[in-house]
Parts: sequence; C-alpha cells; structure tokens
Amino acid sequence: MRNILRPLKSKIPQIIMVIIFLIIQAYCNLTLPSYTANIVNIGIQNADIDYIMNTGMMMLAMVGISVLAAVFLSYFSSRISSGYAKDLRKIVYRKVLKFSNHELNDISRSSLITRTTNDINQIQSVIGMVLTTLLFAPILGIGSVIKAFELGTDLSWIILITFIVVASLLLIIITRVLPYFKVTQEIIDKMNRTSREILLGIPVIKAFVKQKVEQEKFEKINREFVDVNLYVYRRIFILIPSMSLIMNVMIVLILYFGAYNALSSSILTGDIIAFIQYSTQIVTSFIMMGGFLIMLPRIIVSGRRVAEVLNTEITITDGELTEISDKPSLEFKNVSYKYPRSEKETLKDINFKLEPGKTTAIIGGTGSGKSTILNLIPRLQDPTSGEILINGRNIKDYTLKALRDKISFTPQKAILFQGTVKSNMLTGKDDASDSEIEDALKLAQVDFIDSIYDKVSQEASNFSGGQKQRLSIARGIIGKHSFYLFDDCFSALDMNTEAKVKDNLYSLSEDSSILIVSQRISTIKDADEIIVMDNGEIIDRGTHDELNETCDVYHEIVSSQIDSMEVTL
Amino acid sequence: MSPPPARRKPPEKATDNRKAIKNILFLLKDYKLKIVLTVVFGIVSTVFSVISPLLIGLATTTIFDGINRIMNNTGTIDFNSLLFYLSVVVVLYIISSVFSYLQSYVLIDISTDISYNLRSRIMEKITSLSMDNVDENKRGDILSRITNDVDSLQNGITQAFLQMLTAIITIIGVFVMMLYINVWMTLATIILVPVSFLMIILVTRYSQSYFLKQLVFKGSLNAQIEETFTGHDIIRAFNQEEKSIEKFEQDNDEWYTQEWKSQFFSSLTGPAMNFISNFAYVLIAVLGAIFVLEKAIAVGDILAFFQYIENFTRPIQQITRVMSLVQTAMAATERIFEFLELDDEENPSDRQITDIEKEITFENVSFGYTPNEKIIKNLSFNVKKGEKIAIVGETGAGKTTIVKLLMRFYDIDGGEIKIDGVNIEEYDKHSIRSLIGMVLQDSWLFSDTIANNIRYGKLDATDEEVMEAASQVYADNFIKQLPDGYDSLLNEDVDNISHGQKQLLTIARTILSSKKILILDEATSSVDTRTEKLIQKAMDRLMENRTSFIIAHRLSTIKNADKIIVIENGEIIESGNHEELIAKKGYYYNTLNTQNKENII
Repeated sequence: MRNILRPLKSKIPQIIMVIIFLIIQAYCNLTLPSYTANIVNIGIQNADIDYIMNTGMMMLAMVGISVLAAVFLSYFSSRISSGYAKDLRKIVYRKVLKFSNHELNDISRSSLITRTTNDINQIQSVIGMVLTTLLFAPILGIGSVIKAFELGTDLSWIILITFIVVASLLLIIITRVLPYFKVTQEIIDKMNRTSREILLGIPVIKAFVKQKVEQEKFEKINREFVDVNLYVYRRIFILIPSMSLIMNVMIVLILYFGAYNALSSSILTGDIIAFIQYSTQIVTSFIMMGGFLIMLPRIIVSGRRVAEVLNTEITITDGELTEISDKPSLEFKNVSYKYPRSEKETLKDINFKLEPGKTTAIIGGTGSGKSTILNLIPRLQDPTSGEILINGRNIKDYTLKALRDKISFTPQKAILFQGTVKSNMLTGKDDASDSEIEDALKLAQVDFIDSIYDKVSQEASNFSGGQKQRLSIARGIIGKHSFYLFDDCFSALDMNTEAKVKDNLYSLSEDSSILIVSQRISTIKDADEIIVMDNGEIIDRGTHDELNETCDVYHEIVSSQIDSMEVTL
Repeated sequence: MSPPPARRKPPEKATDNRKAIKNILFLLKDYKLKIVLTVVFGIVSTVFSVISPLLIGLATTTIFDGINRIMNNTGTIDFNSLLFYLSVVVVLYIISSVFSYLQSYVLIDISTDISYNLRSRIMEKITSLSMDNVDENKRGDILSRITNDVDSLQNGITQAFLQMLTAIITIIGVFVMMLYINVWMTLATIILVPVSFLMIILVTRYSQSYFLKQLVFKGSLNAQIEETFTGHDIIRAFNQEEKSIEKFEQDNDEWYTQEWKSQFFSSLTGPAMNFISNFAYVLIAVLGAIFVLEKAIAVGDILAFFQYIENFTRPIQQITRVMSLVQTAMAATERIFEFLELDDEENPSDRQITDIEKEITFENVSFGYTPNEKIIKNLSFNVKKGEKIAIVGETGAGKTTIVKLLMRFYDIDGGEIKIDGVNIEEYDKHSIRSLIGMVLQDSWLFSDTIANNIRYGKLDATDEEVMEAASQVYADNFIKQLPDGYDSLLNEDVDNISHGQKQLLTIARTILSSKKILILDEATSSVDTRTEKLIQKAMDRLMENRTSFIIAHRLSTIKNADKIIVIENGEIIESGNHEELIAKKGYYYNTLNTQNKENII
C-alpha cells in the first residue's frame, strides 16, 4: 500500500499549502460565531449600532478571506489529485511494460487495464476527498473545540456525551452493515455472471425449452439481492434522522444547562448561541469522517489492486552483453517449462538447434507447447529449467534489446495498433524507409492497400482476419534479422496466398534461421527439419518424407488433413 | 462549512423526457398507497422539524430576558417556560425523526421492489425474445441494463422522492416560518436564493466545457492503455517499450492539464455555496441585531434564523444534486423500457408434436434476416425418418440458417417446412424444439458441475444415466481424471476443460435427452486431431437410428450420409448421395478434387 502513495511525496509542498488554506478557511469560519456572540453580548446589550455594523464588516472580511482560501484550496487539491493520478498511471504503465508473460497471466491483461484506468481514478477521487473533506473535518473540529473552551461556558461535557453517542451509533451501524457490502458485491457478480451465461446460451435454452428453469435460477439471485439491499438500506437510513435528532437534543441540553450556568456565572446569551454553533460544527465534522469510513472498503480494494501491480516482481531482467555477431546459431538445451500453479509441464526437455540458412518447423496438436517454445526465444517468458544459447552463451546474458533486435517475431494473434499501415510497420523497425516497408508488404502478399498511409482503426477492424495476418507478417519481416519466428500465423489465409507467402518467407533464410509453427502440413512440408510435438515433448524429428514413413502421429495428422475438407466445403 | 466538492459529470439525458416520466409513473402505479404514505410521512416529518427552530429561538429569548433581569436584579430566568419550550422541541424532533425514518423505510420498500420486478421482467424478456433481438453485439448492452440501469433507476426513485420531497417541503416550511418571524429579514436573505442558483449554473456551465475537453483525452489515453496491454507481446518483442512510454506520457500529460482544470472549476460550486451561506449568516447577524434593537424581533429569533438559513441552503444544494440523479434515472428508464418493448417470440399454437412418423420436407423455403437480403432462396428437399442428410457448402452459404429455421428460431418468409405433411408453424414452438437435439460448434455450458451440465437435457436423469451418457460419447475418461470427477465445477468462462472436451459434454447432454431429430454442426479447426476423432465417433454414436441434419466438413461423414445437399448462396446447387454427385462431375466433384490436390504432398 505504501507503494501507491509514493507519488504523493513530490506533492508535499502543495499538500502543505492545502493544509494552510484549510486552516485559514477553518479559522475564518470559526470566528463568525464569536463575532455573533459579541454582537449579541455587546452590540445589542449596549444598543450600539456602530459596533454592530463594524463587527458585521469584520465578519464580511472573514467571509471574503474564507472564500478566497477555499478557491486556492480547490486549486491545489485539484492539481494534487490529478497530478498524483498522472504520476501513478505513469509508474504503473512503465511497470507493466516490464512484465513477462508470467506476470501478465497472473493478473490478466483486462484486469491490468482496469487497474491502470478505473482503479487509479477511484484512488484519485479519494485523494481529492481526503484533501478537502477529510482533512477539513478534524481541523474544523479541533478549532471548534478550542473556540468552545475559550467561551468558558463549562458545557463541554455535553459535547463529549454527544460525541460518544454519535460514535457508538456510527460504530454499531457501520459494523453491522460493512460485511454486507462485500456480500452485495458478490451477489452483483453472481447476477452478472448468470445473466451473461443465460444470454450466451439463448439458442441452447430455447432448443431445450428451459426458459422457466433459467428464469427461476435468476429469480433466486434476484431475491437474494433484494433481501441484502433491504437489510443494508434499512440500517443505513437510520443514520440520517437519528443524527439530526442527536444534534438537536444536544442544542436543547446546551440551552437548558447554559441557562442554569447563567444563574451562577457571567455567561451571556451570545456565548450560548456561539457555543451551540461550535458544538454543531464539531459533531458535523465527526459525522463527515464517519461517512468517509463507509467508503473506505471500496477504496482499499482499488488501492490493493494497484499496489499488487507495483509490488509484482519483474522476473525477466537484462543481461550485459550488447553485441550478437552476425549469423548466430541458437540452441535449446534440455529446456522445460511449467506454468506457475500448473501441475503439468508445458514443455519437457526440449532440445534443438537453429542455424543460419536452415528452416525448422514445429507441428503438433493444440496445447502441445509449440507457442511456448517461440515465446521463450525473445524472452517473453523464461524457461523453468534448461538453457537457451545463442552462440554458446545463455540468452539471459544479453541485453533484452540486443536479443530482440536479432529476432523477428510474428505471433499467432495478429495484433495491430491504431494508426496507419506505416506506423504499424515502423513498430517492426523504427527507422525503416518507405521502400523497406513496401518490400516487406510485398513479401507478405499485402496487395489490398492503396498506400502505406492507409488507416488502421482500433483492433484493425477495417481489415479481415487474413489481411491482418499478412500485415502482421510484414511487420515481422521488416529489416534484417537473424531469427525469424512465425507462430501459426497463416491460419486465416487461403491455400493460394499461403503458398505464396510461405515461398517468400523461405527465401529469407539465406543468412538467417527460420522457425515456423503450424498445424497445417502444407505450411511446413518443405522445412529442412520438422519437429513433431505432443504433450510438451518432442516425439520425433526429420524431413517430411522421413516422418511420413516412420512417425505415426505425423502420419495421422497428414491423413486427417487429406480427409478434411474444411477449407472449401 | 463547505461541502465536499462534487465532481459534476454531465448526466446522460433521456431523449424523450415525457415518455420516460410516463414510464416511471407507470412503474409507481402499483404503489399508490405506499406513495401517499411517504408523502404524508415526509410532510409530517418536515413540518415538525421546521417548527423547532422557532421554539429554540423562544427558549433563547427567554434566557436572554432572564439574564437581563438578573443583571438588573429584577428577577431571574423563567425556567418554567424554558423547560416547556425545550420539551416541546425534543418531542417534535422525536416525532420528526421517526416519521423521516418511516418515510425512507417505505421508499426503500417501493424502490427495491420496483427494481426487483424490473430485473425479473428483463430476464423474462431475454428468454422470450425473438432471435433477431439477441444479437451478439447487444449482449454487453443488455447486461448493463440489468445491473447499472436498474440501479440508477432505483437510486433515482429513492433519492428523488426522499430528497426532492423533503427539500421542497422544507423550503416552503422554512420560508413560512421566516416570514412569520420577520418579513424584512426574510426578504434580505431570500434574495440569495436566485443568486446561488445562478452561481451554481454558471460554475457548472463553465466547468462543463473543461469536462468535455478532458473526456476526449481520457478516451484516447484509455484506448492507448488498452491497446498496449493487449499487444504487450508485440511491444516487447519489437523493443518498442521506450517509444510506447514516450507516447503514453505525452497523452498522459495532456490529459492531466485538462483534467485538473475540469476538477478545479467543477469543485468551485463548493466555495460558491459556502460564500452564499456565510454571507447570509453575516446578514442575519447584523440585520437581526438591528431589528432586535428596533424591537421588531427577539434575540432568540436570530438563532432561529441561523438554523433556518442553514435549512434553506442545504435543500437548494440537494435539489441540484438530485436533478442530475433524476436525469440519469430517466435515461436509464428509457433504455430499460426500450428493451422491454422489443418483440417477443410469437407462439400462437399449442398443438403438440411428439414424434416424427415419415419425413421432414422443405418446400420452396425462402428466408432473409433483413427483408431485402435473402439468405435462403427457394429451398426444397426432404428427409425420410432415420435418414442422415449432410449439408455442405462454404462459410456463409446459409447452412446454419437452414437448421435454425427447422428449430423455428426464425419465421420463414415464403414456402413451408413440414413434418409428416403438417406445416411446423401449426405446432407449438416448444414442442417442435423438444423433438430436436442440437449440437453446435460453439458449445454452451453453464458454470455448474459436469453432471448437472449433462443432465440439462433431462433434468430428472439419475447419476447412472448421466454416467452412461458420458461414457457413450467417450467423455467418461477425461471426466474421471478431473479432481472431482462428475462433480467438478466448470468455471465462469468454462476454460478449465478444453474446447474438444466441452463439445463431448454437449454431445452427452444431447444423447441423454434422447431426441427424435438431430442437428449437428461438425467440429473444425480449433480442436486437435485426436480429440476430433473422439468427437467424430461420439457423433456417429449419437446419430444411430435418428433423423439427422449434419453441417458437414469431413469427407467421411459426407460419404456416409444418405443424402448430400450442396448449398451455395442459399440455394441448392446439387444434391444426391456421394456416388451420384461424383458421377455428376459438378461442383462437388470439382471442389473435392482441387481440395485433395492441394493437400496431396
């Protein structure tokens, strides 16, 4: 939690300004009742209109100063809370960019997005409230206590009693209700889940004629929700009328005992009036803080979620070597990989070598671990055991930049960014010239754009699946790389286009190594070496012809693909 | 005292206010008695609390006069009347508080009941909507109606009634009481009301422009965060971190400069209202003192006025706050009713069908999701009882639509679909659907145990029957390997079992429900070869002795079908069995050949 408050450090001078203005504002507001006391005690008693008018002017001056202070206060608190949120967002964003796949999967991408946006906004609005309301309440409260004592009315015990009553009532109700806030949230989640499920399953529900069953399922949760709501609201709404009752009883007590004291001491009517106002002030400040308490759990949740991101340990760190020679080779040596919390190893004892001029392919069913192998090379994640070597040195010894510069990577999912075709291509190589871009586009068979300045909309929704894949391939092959990695990125291409793209890609292998992952035989059959994977293990390797003869699994895949007519029929 | 600076967001507005109000009134119609009660309770509570400051004023005056008498040695404080005034105040406040609580109690009842009913109605609507209305892209929208919109409506009703009603009664009551004390002081303070409204409106209008400006930057920053986190792999693999951070920080800074200004200006309503109430306070102190000297009012009236003016500015702030809540509630109501008014699936007949005797016939069937775009054109074919028919064709040719028409998910535009010579439109839709089992590629399971998911087809099935069904489709093996076997819970997104396994479960579900007619959509790419073989075997088992429609992709299925129809653009271009179609040397033959050539290695 301390982590998320760190950005506030640089704001300390501004926070001090806020406190100063809060004190000024509180001071000005608090002088008003004592001026009133003077008006009543001196002005009215002596029938001194001049005194009354002068005091009135003083009061107006105080009101003016108070307003100015409040404006400055708003200025600083807005700057602090907005600035804080800005800094926190920056820290979180930088942190997340250092995450490896481990950390990303731990928290999940969509959750990271919410944490960087909504959660930080939540924290920001709380900071704003703390700066204005929560800090103001004690300052005003303490000021009122001092002022009340200054009046010397001997009635302070009434404030104390009120205080105790208010505190116990708040405590009783809040402790009763707080646990139910969590329950409410759980029920809302459950309701959302169930509704979403029903919505998704409409065709099935209709087919099985189970409308009534589903309605009843929802009805139960709905009922539960209403019951909890009624419980919570019926208790929370006790607070408002009872607080005003307590306040007014307090006023009555002050008047009554004030009058008694007046018999024996020099207490004046104006003092009683002022005392009433101070004590009201004290109790209201206290109620304000109590109201803040109710919001606390929600804030803590957001705070924790952001803190979790900041506290996540970065598992992938830079090495020291900055140079990788030309025509490097890459070797997997006994590499295994296990997802945290998973019992099964995703990769078991993988060994193979990529060499310049050679094309290697990996084939296997879903979940056989093919993509994980590719992710290990640019160190999107690190192996659990074993080593990956480039020119005999562990890839962890190189800086991430040096390593990734040598690698061209085309992931399974063609993710493009909003912008233009060119801006997306520049992601592949910062300083690519237009002709370099056009060459890459040509190799990837991108023949459907008018120019490299064509727009790419969010999630590249203006392109079809196959077009996106081709653009993504083009981005991967821009510039010279030593290792070209293609992760099943032809699945949305039709046979013709795939054949052309594949041929072009194979031509890249002159000085470089190519590693292609695919489920389709046609994509990989020309590779120099084909690695067959099943359940995280390499079960065989060789050329297409060799494997077709000797490897049962491979043969099975080949024959099933001849049988399948999924593309045309 | 300054209230916390509220962040004013421009409330979403209903497009047709009058209709929204009418709908809200319609919702309230059933609660007439309770509403009258809340109004009465509200009035009682407010009236009683509005009288109290006057009595407190009288008590203060009593003290003041008493102290004067003590100073002049002419007497003492009149404790009898002091005690009387104060006891009345306490009694009034107790009554007022009790009624105020009663008011909110009844209102909570009304509003939770309304939202409960609305949620039920929305759910009922969801399950009875016609299929065109449950489009994929509308799901998120429908979900937010169940939770957010109903919530805003409930909030709107509770807050609006509670606060608006109390606020208005208070303003009127306070005004009357102030007039009763002194006309001139009332007038002096009452002028502040329009001034404060004006200030609030001005500040809001000014801050609105900043608010809208920062909203644009916020949107673009959020989009960027989303894009980066989704494309995280790309950013890292291509060494783009620095560039991405640079762009982020630029946008982040731009948002900040607009955002703090928007915050600042919108929070200015706080100081503005603070100024108004403090100004009124000074006015009362000074004017009050002068009037006391003129003998127009008593000293205690000043204290009473202090309390009144506080009770006067607070409702004004409340009203402005509630107004935006009400607007949101109206927009929410509009969306909820818009949804509730969508067309239901029609089901006029209750004629039951329990079995198929002879055949299913499609006669010149045509259909389009939109009137001018026909997906199915003049389609005719028939299937004998117990036959397997394979529907073959490219994606988008209309294969799935054909089976959906048989399920009566949509009404056809022309022609007839008959079972044993009777148009299926003459039957109860539910009875038709009860006749048909459907296994789709996109397998829907709900978050419950595996056993309950299989049992969905026959809710009263015994455990033995469930296990029997599972083992018939080769799902028994993997289920037993799960930690809790048949009692294993499928999680929310059902991603704790593989896609292929899910499909096996849906097949088991269908087997258990033992339907007369089957619709099967064969698995394609996303399942690995071995699971696919299992699914294939399970489907074969399922089809035994049943009339089946198969949307087929595999040559082996197609070959074995009794009849194959080849669909292109919603029309049958060829039909017959495998041998006949091969002999024809038409579309089927050609595509089969090129397909195999591509794959021959």
